[in-house]
Amino acid sequence: MKIPAFLRLTIRNVVVNTDMGTMIFMLGLPTLYLFVMGFMFQGIVPNGLRINQNGIDIPYTTFLAPGIIALQSFTAGNIGGGMLWSDRRWGMFEQIMVGPFRRFEYLLGIIFVSIFFAIVGSLIMLAFALAIPVSFNYTLIGVITFLLAIVIGTILFSSLFLIISGIAKSMQIYQTITIVLFFLLDFASTSFYSITSSTPVWLVYIADVNPLTYISNILRDSFIYGVNYQTFVSLGIIFAGMIVLFAISMRVFRNIRSGI
Amino acid sequence: MPENYIEIENLRKTYDGKKFALDGLTFNTVKGEIYGLLGKNGAGKSTSIKIMTTLIGFNSGRGSVAGYDIAKEASKIRKCIGVVQQEESYDFATVENNFKLAGLLWEVGREERDSRMSELMDLFGLEEIRKKRMFDLSGGQKKRVQVAREFMHDMKVIFLDEPTVGLDPIMRRKILDYIRQKANKGLTVLFTTQNLEEADMICDRIGIIDDGKIVEEGTSSQLKNRYGNLRTLTIWIGNDSIFSKEDIQKVFSDIEFDELDVRDNVITIITKKLEKNLGNIMSTLSNNNIQVERINVENPTLDDVFIKVVQK
Ligand SMILES: Nc1ncnc2c1ncn2[C@@H]1O[C@H](COP(=O)(O)OP(=O)(O)OP(=O)(O)O)[C@@H](O)[C@H]1O
Ligand SMILES: [Mg+2]
Repeated sequence: MKIPAFLRLTIRNVVVNTDMGTMIFMLGLPTLYLFVMGFMFQGIVPNGLRINQNGIDIPYTTFLAPGIIALQSFTAGNIGGGMLWSDRRWGMFEQIMVGPFRRFEYLLGIIFVSIFFAIVGSLIMLAFALAIPVSFNYTLIGVITFLLAIVIGTILFSSLFLIISGIAKSMQIYQTITIVLFFLLDFASTSFYSITSSTPVWLVYIADVNPLTYISNILRDSFIYGVNYQTFVSLGIIFAGMIVLFAISMRVFRNIRSGI
Repeated sequence: MPENYIEIENLRKTYDGKKFALDGLTFNTVKGEIYGLLGKNGAGKSTSIKIMTTLIGFNSGRGSVAGYDIAKEASKIRKCIGVVQQEESYDFATVENNFKLAGLLWEVGREERDSRMSELMDLFGLEEIRKKRMFDLSGGQKKRVQVAREFMHDMKVIFLDEPTVGLDPIMRRKILDYIRQKANKGLTVLFTTQNLEEADMICDRIGIIDDGKIVEEGTSSQLKNRYGNLRTLTIWIGNDSIFSKEDIQKVFSDIEFDELDVRDNVITIITKKLEKNLGNIMSTLSNNNIQVERINVENPTLDDVFIKVVQK
C-alpha cells in the first residue's frame, strides 16, 4: 500500500508529537480553563455569571466553551508550526530534506498534522463542554462553519508559527515569542470574555486584529447565536489572514538554509 | 569500464560571496567503492556532502550521483541515497520509534521493517536501550542510533560524514565492518573521518581535500609511497654493548640516512632507502660485533602523508 509522501510525514509528525507534554498543553490546559475558569467565574456572581449578547442571555460556561474550542486552532498551529523549529533544532529537517521528500511535502505534513490535532482537540473539548453541560444548538450549517473556522484558523496559526520557526535564531527567542503570543492572543480576544462598552479601547483594538476573536465569534454563532451574515464576514477575514500568512510562510520556508 | 557512481567536476561553492568553501572540487567514485574524503576542519568535506545530497546548492561546476544530475534531478537522487550527517539528527521519540519512523518515511513494509530493526539493533547493541527516549542516551549511543537508523532502507549510495565520532573502539570496528560488508554487496560509500587509521583500514581510495579542492588522491598505499617513503628502523642491541652516538655514526659512515639516534641500547635510523640499506646495516653491525636482539621497521602512516600534504 502506497502512502503519499505528505501523509507519511503527517503520520510521523503525529507520532513525534503524541507525548505527555504536548497532550497536556493541547488538552489539559484548555480543559482546566473550561472547568476551572468556567465554574470560578460562575461562582463570583450570586445567581451565576451570565452573558447577554445579541439579545440572548446565556450562562458564562456556555459562552466560554466555544472560545476554548477556538483556542485549539492556536494550540494546534503552535504544535505544527513549531515542528519546523524542533526539526531544525534536532537535525531532522536536514535529514528529511535529503530523503525522498520535496519541500512542499514537508510543509503539507506540518499543515496536516496541525489540522489533525485541531480537529481531534476541538472534538474532545466539545465533548467536555457537553459534560458541563452547555446548551448548544446543532445545525448542519453550524457544524460546517465550525469545522471551516477551525481548519482556516489552524492553517493561519501554523503559518504564523512556521514563520517564527523559520526566522528565530535561538531557542530563547523562539520560546519568548511563543509565550508572548500565547498570552496576547489567547487573553486579548473574545475567547474568554465578551467585549462590552466598558472594555478599554486598546484591548478592543488588539481583539479586533486578533484572529482568535473571529474564530471564537464564528464558533459562538455556530453553536449558540446561529450562523448569520456577520459569521461569513468573519470567516472571510480569517481566510484572508490565512492566505497572507501562508504566503509569507512559504517565502520564509523557501529561504531556510540548513542548520541554525 | 566500471560505472562512475559519484562524479563531481569543478564544483565551486561560496556561502558568503567572498570565500569559496569549495573551489574546484573534482573527483569520482565507482560502484561499490568506499571513497574517503580527508581534510582539516573547514576543508569543505561537509559542504561537498551537502551539495552531493542536494541539501544545498552550488555556484558552478557539475556533478551526478548514481547517474542523476545533482542540480536537476534532486528528487531522484534523494530516493536512492542514505545520509548520516555530521550534526546529530533524531526524532523526539524512543530509539525504537526512531527506527519505525525511518521505516515509515522510506515506505519499508512492516515485516521488512521489523526484521531490519531487530538485525540492526542487535548489531549496534541497541537492544537494551530500545525503549529509551533519545534524550536520555549518551552521546555515543545517539550516534549509534543515527548511523544504524540510516540502514533501515535500501540505497545505492551512502554519505557518511564522520560517522564514528564519539564511538568506542569496539563499536567503531563493528560499524566499519558493516559498511565494508555493504560495499562488498555493491553499496557505494562516501566517507569522511578525522581518524586516519580508520580511513586506512576501510577506504578503497582516499581524496585529501584542502581549501575546497582535492589535492591528493589514491589508495592508501599509493599515497604513502608518494609521500611517506621515510621508514623508521629501530634496532635493539645487546645490553653489554653500550655505544655512544659518535661510535655508531662512525660505524655507519657508509650508510645513507636522514636521521640517526642512539639511546642506551636502542638505535633508531630514519631513511628513505631502507630496502637498499637494510643488508648493509645488518652486516655492518655484525662486522663490528654488535649483537642485535630485535629489529622493527615502521611504515609511514597516513598521518604522515596527511600532515605533509595539507601543510604544503
Ligand atoms: N552554513 C554556513 N555558512 C557560512 N559558511 C559556512 C557554512 N557552513 C560551512 N561554512 C564554511 O565553509 C567552509 C567549509 O566548511 P565544512 O563544514 O564543509 O568543513 P568540513 O571539512 O566539514 O570541516 P569539519 O572537519 O570541521 O567538519 C568553512 O570555512 C566553513 O566556515
Ligand atoms: Mg564537516
